[in-house]
Amino acid sequence: MTPDLDACAREPIHIPGSVQPHGVLLVIDPADEMVVAASANAADQLGAPPLSRRMPDLLEEGAEALRSTMASWGAGPSPSAQVRLGVNGGDFDGHLHRADGLTIIELEPVPEGEHLDLEMLYSDIGSFVDQMRRLSEPADLCRLAAEKIRQMSGYDRVLAYRFDRDLHGTVIAEDGNGILPAYLGRRFPASDIPAQARELYRRNRLRIIPDAFYTPVAIEPDRHPATGEPFDLSQSVLRSVSPVHVEYMRNMGTGASMSASIVVDNDLWGLISCHNSVPKRVPMQIRNAIQFIAQILSIQIAMNERGKEADERVAQKTILSRLLGHMAKGPDFAQALAAQPIDLLAQTDADSAAIAYDGRIVRIGSAPAEEDIARILAWMQENVREDVFATDELSSLIPGTERFADKASGLLAASISSLHPSYLMWFRAEVVRSVEWGGDPHKPTTAGPDRLHPRTSFEAWKEQVRNTSAPWKQTQIEAAAELRSAIITIVLRQAEERARLTGQLEATNKELESFSYSISHDLRAPFRHIVGYAELLRAQVPDLDEQATRYLDTITESAVSAGRLVDDLLRFSQLGRTSLQRMPVNLDKVVQESLRTLEEEIGDRQIDLQIGRLPEAIGDAALIRQVFYNLLSNAIKYTRQTQSPRIEISGWRDGNETHVRIADNGVGFDMAYVHKLFGVFQRLHHAEDFEGTGIGLAIVRRILERHGGRILAEAELGTGARFTLVLPDAKGTEDE
Amino acid sequence: MSDLRPILLVEDNPKDVELTLAALAKCQLANDIVVTRDGAEALDYLRGEGGYHNRPLGDPSVVLLDLKLPKVDGLEVLEKVKSDEHLRHVPIVMLTSSREESDLLRSYKLGVNAFVVKPVDFQEFFRAIQELGVFWGILNEPPPHVIRTPS
Repeated sequence: MTPDLDACAREPIHIPGSVQPHGVLLVIDPADEMVVAASANAADQLGAPPLSRRMPDLLEEGAEALRSTMASWGAGPSPSAQVRLGVNGGDFDGHLHRADGLTIIELEPVPEGEHLDLEMLYSDIGSFVDQMRRLSEPADLCRLAAEKIRQMSGYDRVLAYRFDRDLHGTVIAEDGNGILPAYLGRRFPASDIPAQARELYRRNRLRIIPDAFYTPVAIEPDRHPATGEPFDLSQSVLRSVSPVHVEYMRNMGTGASMSASIVVDNDLWGLISCHNSVPKRVPMQIRNAIQFIAQILSIQIAMNERGKEADERVAQKTILSRLLGHMAKGPDFAQALAAQPIDLLAQTDADSAAIAYDGRIVRIGSAPAEEDIARILAWMQENVREDVFATDELSSLIPGTERFADKASGLLAASISSLHPSYLMWFRAEVVRSVEWGGDPHKPTTAGPDRLHPRTSFEAWKEQVRNTSAPWKQTQIEAAAELRSAIITIVLRQAEERARLTGQLEATNKELESFSYSISHDLRAPFRHIVGYAELLRAQVPDLDEQATRYLDTITESAVSAGRLVDDLLRFSQLGRTSLQRMPVNLDKVVQESLRTLEEEIGDRQIDLQIGRLPEAIGDAALIRQVFYNLLSNAIKYTRQTQSPRIEISGWRDGNETHVRIADNGVGFDMAYVHKLFGVFQRLHHAEDFEGTGIGLAIVRRILERHGGRILAEAELGTGARFTLVLPDAKGTEDE
Repeated sequence: MSDLRPILLVEDNPKDVELTLAALAKCQLANDIVVTRDGAEALDYLRGEGGYHNRPLGDPSVVLLDLKLPKVDGLEVLEKVKSDEHLRHVPIVMLTSSREESDLLRSYKLGVNAFVVKPVDFQEFFRAIQELGVFWGILNEPPPHVIRTPS
């Protein structure tokens, strides 16, 4: 049978209905100061049954102090006070507080003749504060407190626990006289202190059990006279504890205990836990002093932690601003971060990192392999909704990741895009630790026939913890969050900037388009008119002399060539806009067609055409035809002055590319100007030698570039030129 | 062969009008040539409306239509003609300065009968106009049912 651990957490320990027998509990109705309930030992201790008597009537001493204290409370939330009272010839330490509209007075008898040196207590506290100031580590502070507390109280052993994130308590400081076993470094599982007890510890800062072997004393009657509910004893100092707890104490070999809470930022940070082998009473004043020390200790720990945190934050801010500076410089934040590995890792004190963005994974330092990171990403995409996610035991979440625990047992991830699985990831290596538990944490309780029993063994139980990293601190998680929001801001800004530029570019393109459109209409017309009227004039005047005819011819020629220029320019500008229709193109055919179109230009010249078989190419047929037409037309043009002109066309495949070479033995050009060859309006020959608009090769290059291809030109002045064009099967990039 | 029906030239540029008329004159067509200077006027002529409500019956043998026109441009005229039940058989030749692919595509989509880019070279221009005039003005036989009667 598996013990029901929750049973412990369900026990209503704040309403036990009974108290420990070393004192008397009275419940007073503040309206008439009447005792409405009392612990069963009241009559014995006070000399007479107090029920239904007015409280002041019971008192020989302190009635006035009690009344004025209660009167001063007003409507405060949970007021409490201590008063020395005299009853039945004896002295009592009175502790009073309010609960559910009633006043609860707890009386602990002061042994006759007990004399406490308060001066001594004050100087103890004073020296504690003095010494404390020189310490900064929590363990050192706790050890000092443990020593002081043991010195003031006389317990056999004082332990200071610190709770970790999983609420396991580790003994970080200890002081003892050797009677009870030493527990320093030992860890006690979270289940030792059930949740509701933890909550009581947070609210009620000091508990004492002078005798673990006590018999509880019932409160009679056990119900609130107005509500009918059991009395809430959360703030009670005599409250009877859970039977499981005293059993636990007895199992630990302790006969008396006292514990004081260390509360930092309203959380139960740790406990000061005092034990004695035999039952032990500690006077209220000393308990007060100890509670005071625990409070000072809490404040000091909080201050130190905040100071440390502030230092860490300042350091992280410095790093963050450096990283921001680098990211702002370039267009690619991922590259910028990857280039600053030291800062990036220092930001969260990580061992390695990775940036998953835009389908890429950039690894920094000894990060896991890319496929392992991809697996983590897939898991996060599926399971993580938080912007920032941290674990120090990745393999407990993603089985199989223990394979690379040496690289990534800890993961801190910040999501930088909700659309794609884009994350900034930090990794921490495995830290193999040996934990010495106070007893086997996997067997915290045993089930008895009637109820749960706490474990009986507190023997050191060593466990090796694997596949975990050092835990991520809150400040480091926050640093990740800050870097995340900085990146998101930068990415967003860059996206906006890109959108703005794209918008501008589109507008400019549109403008350019309508500009070239109207040019194509309006600029061509005047040239047409010039030619037209020149011809009309020629027809009108039949007997023009030679010079007049030459003038008219020149007018016509000039206008025609200007018109061609406009046409070529427009064709060039259209190239950037029309979309490519890619398909297999038979280049043999293309060459034949081009040559046929150029027949007129060849005229009766004898050109030696060497045309090899050409491979197929993939591309836009019309545009490729234009390329061949332009190149062949050039070859024909520039061999005009050559004795025996020759044009060679050859082609071959290289990988996924088709290469075609068109070589001629014409005038060639000077390679010094090859960089100008493919520019718009760049001519390497005089216009009177070779006609043309100077756009042909620019068109060729643009067409090839749009196909993701290229063109090479080689030449020697006077001996010929050689153009090699390359067309890839699949397009690389297309500037559309 | 039917009676010679007029050729409708829609052209806003007076120089182009003069040059086109000169070219058409050269091929000695007997057809009348009606010139309208914008798209709206051309539509009026074709529909026998506005300033043309008294014109003799019958559709032109061909419309030589410039693309860029004031008021209603060439493509709009084309669209209106080709979507008009009574007019859509009238052959329309787009005459344009533009080499714009988009204009060409749209014209064919709208059902143009021919698309001619006006060449800069005047001889070519003459040849083109003359061929158009001869083909559409004389040789092309209109469908028999198209002789419109006044409603």
